[in-house]
Amino acid sequence: MLSPPNGSGSRRELLASVTAISLAAGAHAAAARSYSGALPFRTYSADPPRPVLPGAWLFFTQDEAVAVEAMVDRLIPADDLSVGGKEAGCAVFIDRQLAGPYGNSSRLYTRGPFAQGLPTQGYQGEANPAQRYRAGLAAIDSWLKREKNRPFAALPAEEQDAFLTGLDKNEITLPQGGAGFFNLLLQNTMEGFFSDPVYGGNRGMASWRMLGFPGTRYDYRDWVSRHNQRYPQPPVSIMGAAEWSPRAGAAR
Amino acid sequence: MSALRNTLAALALLMGGATAHAEGADQADRITRGQYQAVLGDCMACHTRPGGAPFAGGAPLETPFGRLVPPNITQDPETGIGNWNEADFTRMMRTGIGHGGRRLYPAMPYPAYSMMTDQDIADLWAYMATVQPVRNAVVANQLPFPFNIRLAMWGWNLLNFRPEPFRADPAQSAEWNRGAYLVQGPGHCGSCHTPKNIMGADDTGQALRGASLQGWFAPDITGNSQTGIGGWSQEELVTYLRTGVNTHSVASGPMREAVENSTSRMSDADLRAIAVYLRSLNGTAPPAPQPLAATEPRMQAGGAIYAANCAACHGGEGRGARQLFPALAGNPLLRQANPETLVHLVLAGSQGAQTPGAPTTPAMPSLGWRLNDQQVADVLTYVRNSWGNAAPPVAPHEVAKQRDGEPEKPWALVIGGVVLVCLLVLATALLMRRRRRRHAVA
Repeated sequence: MLSPPNGSGSRRELLASVTAISLAAGAHAAAARSYSGALPFRTYSADPPRPVLPGAWLFFTQDEAVAVEAMVDRLIPADDLSVGGKEAGCAVFIDRQLAGPYGNSSRLYTRGPFAQGLPTQGYQGEANPAQRYRAGLAAIDSWLKREKNRPFAALPAEEQDAFLTGLDKNEITLPQGGAGFFNLLLQNTMEGFFSDPVYGGNRGMASWRMLGFPGTRYDYRDWVSRHNQRYPQPPVSIMGAAEWSPRAGAAR
Repeated sequence: MSALRNTLAALALLMGGATAHAEGADQADRITRGQYQAVLGDCMACHTRPGGAPFAGGAPLETPFGRLVPPNITQDPETGIGNWNEADFTRMMRTGIGHGGRRLYPAMPYPAYSMMTDQDIADLWAYMATVQPVRNAVVANQLPFPFNIRLAMWGWNLLNFRPEPFRADPAQSAEWNRGAYLVQGPGHCGSCHTPKNIMGADDTGQALRGASLQGWFAPDITGNSQTGIGGWSQEELVTYLRTGVNTHSVASGPMREAVENSTSRMSDADLRAIAVYLRSLNGTAPPAPQPLAATEPRMQAGGAIYAANCAACHGGEGRGARQLFPALAGNPLLRQANPETLVHLVLAGSQGAQTPGAPTTPAMPSLGWRLNDQQVADVLTYVRNSWGNAAPPVAPHEVAKQRDGEPEKPWALVIGGVVLVCLLVLATALLMRRRRRRHAVA
């Protein structure tokens, strides 16, 4: 899920391509090439992720979006440590992911048979994440309208918490399995909260600031021998940081 | 090289008796020496396309006047120089006038080659005559009007070029003079490193002080300690030329090719001579500017960008890593007035030269996707004014210009071209009038 939307290869793809290359090499030994001289290099080469842009919902309907925003705000409520899940952009992150290759499982094997897997094997069902959200949110909505006569977002915070807890403990069962959907939502909310802001969540690098995580920096030699000192640099996203453009004044 | 020589000698031996043997060995020596002249002159750099057959024509040169394509100089009679003789070749090297009186453009550095000794030019021809003919038609002159008129080079030569042999300076050592000969003559270092005047000729008063070409700035290579190689030791300079990398710098852009094709193949004695000469050039340079204050917004932004993008390799204090990542502290390349090369490196990335002495070709990734024009400008302003460096700040428009890949159209040069044509017309008119007068007298 954390892979960039335009994809630079999953492990499964890598393994498949290695197999394909090995087979091809075996079949056409004459096509093998040896390289000498300089290592391959191209100027201007880069494969950056496409940053998520703010704007209309791509996957959620308006009602679904309102419900998901309310849910992520209960999973990560605003407090003195950080902003809440809604303000951090978790719902936007989930929306963009569901509209892309994660939502339709285009990078996974999704044909049958669909056996009941062990708990350690994770989700083994036929429905892809987009279908699970659509069905799960609809089931929640109809359950709440039947029992509480109100949609999720309109419930008071305590009742929202009680409902989510019920889902988590399988005390409230939905046609698709309440705990299954709850775990999916919780997982995706955490991903949105902690992943790079380039994917739509973790707005302003809120979670990274809270943790003191420095982001996409990759060299700490200058600090290796400085024990018991606080690392001074602020976090950096794949697409940069507000400090890079102080005059623009726009924080990511 | 010695293999070639042995083969040629063996061939000669097979073909004839004892006298022919002596002659053949002599010819073999000449060809071997000529091959070395081709290395010194770096003929390969322009006349061979990347991945193409040697000397069969090169990649287009984007000059400020338009596009020129280095021609095929193999021995193919139709598309190469197979129908040239030694006299043609010598005249071309000395005067810029080719076979059949065709005038060459000074993108071919004949003003430098004209300084070469008779012996060196003769040896070079002996080698060129052995180059495998390759059929490859090249349209060399792709300049726009009025620059496409080759005759204009008659006027250009009149104004900018005096064919003179190299004159040794008796006050200097033999090594210094050898270095001067190599730099000014066959090595034609000034073709890139000497600023050009309005007509594209070397501004000899500024020799080797650094010049812009094809989106790169060929830096100052005089002994100036601020912007030149004055801070490099003799051995460091030799190492750079031999391997493309030393403690201070890694060759990039066109210099990478010059190192791979030319300087890395030069003899150690010649490299030492070049270093002695370059280090002795100590022109008066304007005083170094004051570095920008670290509290400046540009410096603050640049510092943040540097820490997140550059420090991993170049080090938090710009010290780099020996032989792998150039130190930025005290690096004269950063202190050039013109930041073109630096902009190029950040936007496009770069790979070091691949030489027997430095085969690993470390590379710098492109950062153009991650940094906008302002950010590239600010990080360069920061490195140009940190750790003892001081140089003018970089403006975002200087980055935008390179990002668009649009070569600058210097209006001065266009106006220069028009002036050139006017001068030519004037000169022709004068000549005709004089001739008419002479006729009248007769």
